[in-house]
Amino acid sequence: MSDDAKERWQASTIALGERSAYKKVWELQSQDLDLASLAVAGHTDEATLELTAKGFIDTLRATTGLDRNDVILEIGCGIARVGKPLSRECLHWFGADISSGMLAHARARLKERPNTTLVELATVGLQEFPRDAFDLVYCTIVFMHLFEWDRYRYVEETFRVLRPGGRCYFDNFPLDSAHGWNVFMEGCRYPLERRPAHLSMSSTREELGIYLRKAGFVDVRVHDLPNELIAATGRKPE
Amino acid sequence: MNPDPQDTAATLAALQAELEAVKRRDSEFRANMVKEFLDRGERNSYVHLLHEERAALLKRQQESFLDLEELTRKVEAESARADALHAELSRIKGSRAWRVAKALLGEPPAAPAAATVQPAGLAPVEPAVFIYYLHTSPFRIYRDASFTLRGWAWPQDGGSITGVRVNLSGRLYSGRYGIEEPEVIARYGAQPANPHPGFEVAFDTPQGRHSLSLEAQVGGAEWRWIMRTTIWCEPKA
Repeated sequence: MSDDAKERWQASTIALGERSAYKKVWELQSQDLDLASLAVAGHTDEATLELTAKGFIDTLRATTGLDRNDVILEIGCGIARVGKPLSRECLHWFGADISSGMLAHARARLKERPNTTLVELATVGLQEFPRDAFDLVYCTIVFMHLFEWDRYRYVEETFRVLRPGGRCYFDNFPLDSAHGWNVFMEGCRYPLERRPAHLSMSSTREELGIYLRKAGFVDVRVHDLPNELIAATGRKPE
Repeated sequence: MNPDPQDTAATLAALQAELEAVKRRDSEFRANMVKEFLDRGERNSYVHLLHEERAALLKRQQESFLDLEELTRKVEAESARADALHAELSRIKGSRAWRVAKALLGEPPAAPAAATVQPAGLAPVEPAVFIYYLHTSPFRIYRDASFTLRGWAWPQDGGSITGVRVNLSGRLYSGRYGIEEPEVIARYGAQPANPHPGFEVAFDTPQGRHSLSLEAQVGGAEWRWIMRTTIWCEPKA
């Protein structure tokens, strides 16, 4: 194949739509707290938010372990649904999100929690954070909104910012569960031209495991969770 | 002899507490490290490095422009002095004494003369005190057919600028005033009469030496000059 043909082929490709414009997509979904809560959790009342967050913290405790001295980072913290209760169980909780609107809601919800810090991410990645800093980095209900390359980018970056011996957690929904299939079919029903940029996309167990192993994690395990999600956990070598 | 179980338990508890304290200190150190990293605003990112490099390059560029301005001023002073000397020489050569002395002694040396020569061709505009900065420095050799002077300015007395122009050896070029300069406002605060102090003026640069005067109209009334210099325009190599 000639260089000319390669160039023409590259010039002929078109953008994949606005799914990669994560900042734009999530700023639009955070215009008020109800909208933001619906976008990140599927419901708006505080009691349900607290309940689902506690369920997730139990999952975290069972899969990665939790320690009251942990310095924790959540990737894609949204309105701090998890961060608010989790900050009571660790030394310091950092929440990172690409949407300043989401972080504004999170800030209001965390005003009574002094051991929390919120950080707006400029783009995909954790470039705002130094290396070897955290005991635990987790990312929940986020991967379904990301392209695969960006999912891996966050796994790679997590490896960088974790201290040696630090733990990680990433989850998504699989296709081979009733819930996962329902989500998939909801996406199927969208007319092609009206497919939203944040449409949920599944992961496989193999995919999540490969990301963690390729990034350098050890003790990699993929868990089937009671809520029909799958989660990969791993540890940065000492 | 077996150790006292109570002592062993107490020792273990003390060690456990010490270990816990060490872990806590380590965690606190790392949490503070992250907070300091964030607080500094100094991000360990490629974009940040590029910003730093850009700032360093801008500083170097500004220093270079200052050197060029100083050089231009020296050249202007020397040119004015040379013009004055030429004028004096012409006057001497036209005098009767010169002709007599030439007949008797040959060429006498010309007397030095200090004089200040105003740039030629400029309209009689008065100066005023402006605070200004020029993004595109006029202190350069001009090789294109035209040039756009960009910058920001406001009068020190807070008057409202209602127009800008360039006077190039008597030829006037109107410019545009009222361009946003958010970095200037962030640094100096807003001047109420000039909320958007940015400007740009495009002007032709025909070959040769010209007098350039950047001028502003204050309060819709008289024009005042902001800065003046001599420029040299040369054809492209």
